[in-house]
Amino acid sequence: MAGNRSTLVLSVVVAALAVLPLTGVPDHHLRLVAEILILGVAVMSLDLLIGYGGLVSLGHAAMFGVGAYAAALFATHVSPDLLLAIPAGIVAATLVGAVMGALVMRSANLFLLILTLLLSQMVWEVIFRWRDVTGGADGFRGIPQLTLPGGMAIDSGVDLYYVAGVLAVGAYLVAASFVNAPIGKALVGTREQPIRMTALGYSIPRIRLSVFMVSSAIAGAAGALYPFVNLYVGPQVAHWTMSATLVIMLVLGGVCTLFGGFIGAAIYLVFQTHVSSYTDRWQLVVGLAFVATVLFVPRGLGRELHQLLRPLGLGEPRVTAETDKKGTVR
Amino acid sequence: MEYYVIQSLNALVFAVILLLSGLGLSVVMSLMNFVNLTHGSLYLLGSYIAVFWMATGQPWYLAFPAAFLGGAAAGLILDRFPFQLFYARTHLMQVLLTYGLSVVFADLMRWGFGAHIATPQIPELLRGVVFILDTPFPIYRLFVLASGVVLAAGLWFLFDRTIWGAVVRACVVDTRIVEALGINTKHVFTAVLALSCGLGALSGALGSGILAAFPGLDEEILILAFIVVVVGGLGTFSGVAVSALVLGFTMTFAKMLSPEFSNLMSLAVMAGILIWRPDGLIAATRREV
Repeated sequence: MAGNRSTLVLSVVVAALAVLPLTGVPDHHLRLVAEILILGVAVMSLDLLIGYGGLVSLGHAAMFGVGAYAAALFATHVSPDLLLAIPAGIVAATLVGAVMGALVMRSANLFLLILTLLLSQMVWEVIFRWRDVTGGADGFRGIPQLTLPGGMAIDSGVDLYYVAGVLAVGAYLVAASFVNAPIGKALVGTREQPIRMTALGYSIPRIRLSVFMVSSAIAGAAGALYPFVNLYVGPQVAHWTMSATLVIMLVLGGVCTLFGGFIGAAIYLVFQTHVSSYTDRWQLVVGLAFVATVLFVPRGLGRELHQLLRPLGLGEPRVTAETDKKGTVR
Repeated sequence: MEYYVIQSLNALVFAVILLLSGLGLSVVMSLMNFVNLTHGSLYLLGSYIAVFWMATGQPWYLAFPAAFLGGAAAGLILDRFPFQLFYARTHLMQVLLTYGLSVVFADLMRWGFGAHIATPQIPELLRGVVFILDTPFPIYRLFVLASGVVLAAGLWFLFDRTIWGAVVRACVVDTRIVEALGINTKHVFTAVLALSCGLGALSGALGSGILAAFPGLDEEILILAFIVVVVGGLGTFSGVAVSALVLGFTMTFAKMLSPEFSNLMSLAVMAGILIWRPDGLIAATRREV
């Protein structure tokens, strides 16, 4: 954060989002925005790994999915209280993230990519096969609506939108403070100069494990709210293709920006919703659009926006994502 | 006893398909440092070419060269644009580009070939079964097994024992020195990519008689081949072979033990190998100067 001015920009964005429902936007549009905010949080947590840590994970959906199922199960069987169900998702996802982080902390590059893919597919297999608990391939239905501590149900799109908004702001503040804290700086250091960082006495596996846990907790928080958008959760939320979608959203929005996750999620979801209503070949269109982005806007649309916002004091991100030409995964 | 022999043969056949599709991927990954996620699409393209070729009534054995040439031609085009722009980029950018392309190709093939499961008309000669220890075993599978072994041996010879292979391997170690010797490395890379894409399509043509061809198969094969290559140790020939065998046998026998948990077991075995050896089964020895 470049000081007060970026705080100002953040406040303006938050204020604009806060008054959005007052402008008469239809309820189902607010639901879409809520979904964008939720997925944006998940993408932002992935940015900690990929952007700041240089750890390209193809298993992030496992944490998102575990958070989703844990919160849905907790709400159904224990209590639909928002302040209990969401933490249940966070705790479950953090535990899975800790195990996964501990298992992958010695790996790098493509080995890390495949190992996270394998481990997350194991999580998916468990969700998919454990029919009695998760509903298997049919997904999990009959989830009650979340309630506020007073007992008020979160049932309309507006309510859901505000909960997602609070989640997004909270997650952004956590992620931003992690990035700006010494551990965040050390993480970027391990990405850029692992040998030098080791020589300075940093333990790279420990740093990686902590970023994995923080990132999993945030992804779990996003996942925990996700089932309550449609009161349904299916096993595809934990599938590796979901991880790939999160990575695509991240790149569309811009790696290493944090807020780019929201832009990427917005572009992807709006695009998908609109194109799929016009043509059956929406995958083709989305694929072509994505290839065009990689070819012509490789830094992501979020970063280009960043550049445009420069006079406002948001400037270029301090850390560039693509510095190493030796072929290591960034 | 017979049962285990037959299952082992099945595992070998599956391992050969994994090996062939993995080798194509491995060649570009190790020799050109390029991650090509369109490899699964090329596999599926090869399967469709074989299916359509065998339906036309042309000599069946020409289906395989046709698939190879089709894949290689696709590779030549892709090399021109856009792969060449990405050879020097980071793996992440390569992964993103080729993943996006594979989504495009998957939808194009669904559009062109339909969403149904297409099976090739296997020629008379390969249709029956042979009796191994009094248990029937499809001849076609033996044919795949034999051709796979021959192809893999041929590839090994090409890269390990010929002057052309030496040039390619030299390009991996130091492109600029090879350039200084008067060899156009760009052409070498183009040839390697075309060969790899051709191999992908050829393995698809061979596999089509067993796995058929349908939308979604491209992704499945890509993931399996990718796992095989990375677990094997990124670009060592023997590594890919060993890891294809491990995955082939694990998947076949896990299915036998417990169909419910077979995928979980196979995933766990492959993940276990990567946790045990973070650089893959047989890591390439690299000399940093």
